[in-house]
Amino acid sequence: MSETEALESMVGGEYKYGFTTDVEYEDFPAGINEDIVREISRRKDEPQWVLDFRLEAFEKWKQMDGEPDWPNIEYEKPKFDEIQYYSSTKKKDGQKKPESLDDIDPQILETYEKLGIPLQEQKQLQGIAVDAVFDSESIFTTFKEKLGDAGVIFCSISEAIQDYPELVKKYLGSVVPKGDNFYAALNSAVFSDGSFVYVPKDTVCPMELSTYFRINNMQSGQFERTLIICEDNSHVSYLEGCTAPMFQENQLHAAVVELVAHENAEIKYSTIQNWYSGDEKGQGGIFNFVTKRGHCRGDNSKISWTQVETGSAITWKYPSVILQGDGSIGEFFSVAVTNNRQQADTGTKMIHVGKNTKSTIISKGISAGESNNSYRGLVKISPRADGAQNYSVCDSMLIGQTCGAHTFPYIESANPTAKVEHEASTSRVGEDQIFYLQQRGMDEDDAISLIVNGFCKEVLKELPMEFAVEADKLLGIKLEGSVG
Amino acid sequence: MLEIKNLHVVVEEDGTEILKGVNLKINEGEIHAIMGPNGSGKSTLAKVVAGHEAYEITDGDILFEGESILELDPDERAHLGLFLAFQYPVEVPGVTNKTLLREAYNTIAKERGREELDPLEFEDYVHERLDIVEMKPEFLDRSINAGFSGGEKKRNEIFQMAVLDPKISFLDETDSGLDIDALKIVSKGINHLAGENNAICLVTHYQRILDYIVPDFVHVMLDGKIVKSGDKKLAVELEEKGYDWLNDLASVSVNGEQK
Amino acid sequence: MPDIKKQDTFLSDLLAKETSLNGKSTAIKKLRQKGLEDVQKTSFPGRKDEDWRFISLRELYSDSYIPASQIEVTLPDISELFIEESKNARLVFVNGRFSADYSSTDALPEEVTLGNIADLSADGEALVDKHLNAYGDFEDDIFSSFNTAMLQDGAFIHVPKGMKVDTPVQLLFVQTDADEPYFTTSRCLILAEEDSEITVVEDHVGVGENKYFSLPVVEVNLERGAYVKHTKIQRESMQAIHIARTAAHLKQHSNYESYTITIGAKLSRNEPRITQLEEEVEFTVDGLVLIDGDQVSDTHSVMDHRFSHCESHQLHKCVINGKAHSVFNGKIFVRKDAQKIDSFQENRNLLLSRKGLVNTKPQLEIFADDVVCTHGATIGHLEEDEVFYLKSRGLNDHQARELLTYAFALETIENITVDSVQELLVDEVHNYTSRTLQNQD
Repeated sequence: MSETEALESMVGGEYKYGFTTDVEYEDFPAGINEDIVREISRRKDEPQWVLDFRLEAFEKWKQMDGEPDWPNIEYEKPKFDEIQYYSSTKKKDGQKKPESLDDIDPQILETYEKLGIPLQEQKQLQGIAVDAVFDSESIFTTFKEKLGDAGVIFCSISEAIQDYPELVKKYLGSVVPKGDNFYAALNSAVFSDGSFVYVPKDTVCPMELSTYFRINNMQSGQFERTLIICEDNSHVSYLEGCTAPMFQENQLHAAVVELVAHENAEIKYSTIQNWYSGDEKGQGGIFNFVTKRGHCRGDNSKISWTQVETGSAITWKYPSVILQGDGSIGEFFSVAVTNNRQQADTGTKMIHVGKNTKSTIISKGISAGESNNSYRGLVKISPRADGAQNYSVCDSMLIGQTCGAHTFPYIESANPTAKVEHEASTSRVGEDQIFYLQQRGMDEDDAISLIVNGFCKEVLKELPMEFAVEADKLLGIKLEGSVG
Repeated sequence: MLEIKNLHVVVEEDGTEILKGVNLKINEGEIHAIMGPNGSGKSTLAKVVAGHEAYEITDGDILFEGESILELDPDERAHLGLFLAFQYPVEVPGVTNKTLLREAYNTIAKERGREELDPLEFEDYVHERLDIVEMKPEFLDRSINAGFSGGEKKRNEIFQMAVLDPKISFLDETDSGLDIDALKIVSKGINHLAGENNAICLVTHYQRILDYIVPDFVHVMLDGKIVKSGDKKLAVELEEKGYDWLNDLASVSVNGEQK
Repeated sequence: MPDIKKQDTFLSDLLAKETSLNGKSTAIKKLRQKGLEDVQKTSFPGRKDEDWRFISLRELYSDSYIPASQIEVTLPDISELFIEESKNARLVFVNGRFSADYSSTDALPEEVTLGNIADLSADGEALVDKHLNAYGDFEDDIFSSFNTAMLQDGAFIHVPKGMKVDTPVQLLFVQTDADEPYFTTSRCLILAEEDSEITVVEDHVGVGENKYFSLPVVEVNLERGAYVKHTKIQRESMQAIHIARTAAHLKQHSNYESYTITIGAKLSRNEPRITQLEEEVEFTVDGLVLIDGDQVSDTHSVMDHRFSHCESHQLHKCVINGKAHSVFNGKIFVRKDAQKIDSFQENRNLLLSRKGLVNTKPQLEIFADDVVCTHGATIGHLEEDEVFYLKSRGLNDHQARELLTYAFALETIENITVDSVQELLVDEVHNYTSRTLQNQD
């Protein structure tokens, strides 16, 4: 499907996913302390080593100086004592986890259907396995059996802790250490649910895997934890989508995602982030503080991040790749759109350790309204990374005169055989471009949509087909009426 | 089909008057050529007809099929069947020619009550139109005008005209920047597209393109007015004598107006 | 002995010296006092400060420095440092103190003022009182406050309205050899009135191999239509520390062209800061850094576009050999409503050695939509294809690499209009390339 159809299906500039689902939650006290951490672990029936992991992280978090102050964002700091760190819906007859779809609250099923991700077998999206995460817990995972036949494990991280403890134990915290940063430490202490993917040797995952994150509870934070491991010569493509209701207050989403790629393995990770972004005055919206990091452990492995960031009041996110294996490849393709009072500080880190490692960064920032959009990136070439190469392009587009675009690329090279190239530009939607397209029959909104789409093309083409359409639509809706 | 009446136009930003009372009538099946030196206002006229926002109309009117189009946005004018081949075609990186054309074709088709084409039908249609300007299919997948040579951009404009099938086309300096072979191809394309039911208005500085496209009427524009109209012989005369011999005409008419 | 590390004692030592500083102007005395107060309010930076994160100031903090006035001056023949074109249009400062013997201003028209800040006519003094420290913009910066606190001698240039001065002015700052590390501060104030033109060559030279701390501050004000060409050459001793600030303010239709060449000093830091005060200005902030051994060179520039219609250009090139470390942090600001800005920035680094290090952070902060801002940064080695090409034309490996390095560096100095300065720099580039190629591992 092309932009044409995506544009045709564009309707109203409003946030379509802002509804709430009226479900009953189990009681859980707000605030954070050691008892809370223990209680989360108890409710999830976790083994001792997971509790230890949480407690150590909590200790580290307590000792930290507070939130990082270097990002180019301004916001009222979350009141950590008022957040509810675990939010689980009431289950039938004391069940821990629904055994089948019949055990799930029909309202939740309806929610996912409304979001375009039906979980019922007859309606399931073809070719995509879905893990549906509702507030703090994974509700259901589709196509588990089919994936199991191929040897691929795809389940919630909570299940993985129970069913594949050795794998989780080996990799959890191995890419993003417990005390990596303020939000990663918090997540490590209170993480709720997220997805676990394990692709064994010599396996191409037969379908796209995806997780759909939904925040529903106004008081709760969401602490997603995702771990993806790809063994030698394997391949997986994973997508995540995120939405939340419209509330006047801000909710916190602090995620940690760890990817490990062994020799010749390839992980493609795509995100369409459409959390509620707050209203025109900046009321409400999700605070999205995310640590995502991939580790190219084996030679010739590849990790590719693609993100379309349109939602959230605040986005703080730097999906990174540690290029350790010789000949490994890291990629980062990003479109970040901010409108109204949104603030995004996003980018990537490419750490070149191995020889002949390559990284590519394509970042497209679009600012409209009174928003601020920053690209922040680090490219680091270590002394032994002979023949390393990086190529970065960071383009910004401003729409209107009350927004800001910022580019903060940090580049460091300690190897004379390495080659680093960075370029950045700032431009705008030209009046001559709009006139030209209008002369060809398009109205102003369509013309802008098309121009913005063209500006982002290099990134959008990296998305899996099903998501590309979604992204196209989002961009159009996001910027509707932002000119003139 | 198109009637321009006593059109006065100033530049919105600084109020400079560019068009000082232009009168022009173009009927179906006709080919007109507007000639004039740089700065005479001929490109402005083309842009104003298309609805460019940088200009303000202070007097006069533009009628399309008897109705004033002054209040219409550029896209609405395009929907009526008005086409402008730009003197400097604009680059739109990342958006392919095909995307633009299908979007534009179907929007205009819808507005004009014609049937929209699905992707496969459009593919066939567009390939057939490519031949008119002897362009390769790869062209369709390139970003609009980005990285095109000057000649390619101009050919692309005529190609778009061929796809959109407008009722009246203003071709603004389409011949400039073309080498002789490209000029022949473009001219052939324009001749092919000219028909009983449409009209073409060439805006040009040089007589060169008129060797290949024979106009029914030639108008000379000087200092914001059409000072002389005639048939193709006028163009030949201009080529020989230059524009200077008409200068007196311009000042006379200006003076005449002042009285 | 004042020790920078121990900020308190260092400052009280300074306070004690304050009374001994010369100068008759009460305004300058007040400035000095303010400088002292500011120094006391701020602390010396460390790695935790974002602006200093890439380099270590250990080199600076590891020693104690005595005021330059306390060392015995032994000066070799410095006449070879004089620029031919600036004959009789030259001010010389030795260890920060004005040297009347070596200075001469006869070549300049009478209306132009060129002299020592501390020793001007009443008119000159009035101008200094009004303008000195008015263009610094280095708030909370301890080094410029320190410079102000130590204000003594300095260069003052005033070009009156409509005056176009053909003769380039040389400001020569000579640092002498000494047994003990010393510190020296110097100050320049350049005032270009409406439609005036002047070319200034600011030249910092260390004649020995000793360690000292040099801390110059330069302020330039361009009134409407003024045109100032400013070349700064830093060829301090290879043990020296050079921390400099240069600030320029531009009014309508003015043009500031600056070229900063860094060759010397063990640790050097340049902070050009260009501020646009009215619409329609032009400026250039080019730089060339040639470092080797354990040299560290850091350039932190700010191009502050505050009003519409500005064309700005920055080409900053660095060649790094040995264990040298180069830092570039170039900020381009485009403030709200500063439309129609055309700003270009490029930092290109040629990293020649295995132990060398490059940090670069070109930074764009844009708040206006109708602008064209581009920046780029590259780090790389010589292109082997190019080396091969030259070798295929008969050059040996050494010659090919030298020629390519030379060509890389040359681009930043070819716009300098003073012939002998260009020749001097071409020689310096030659010296550097032949030296580095011999030192290569």
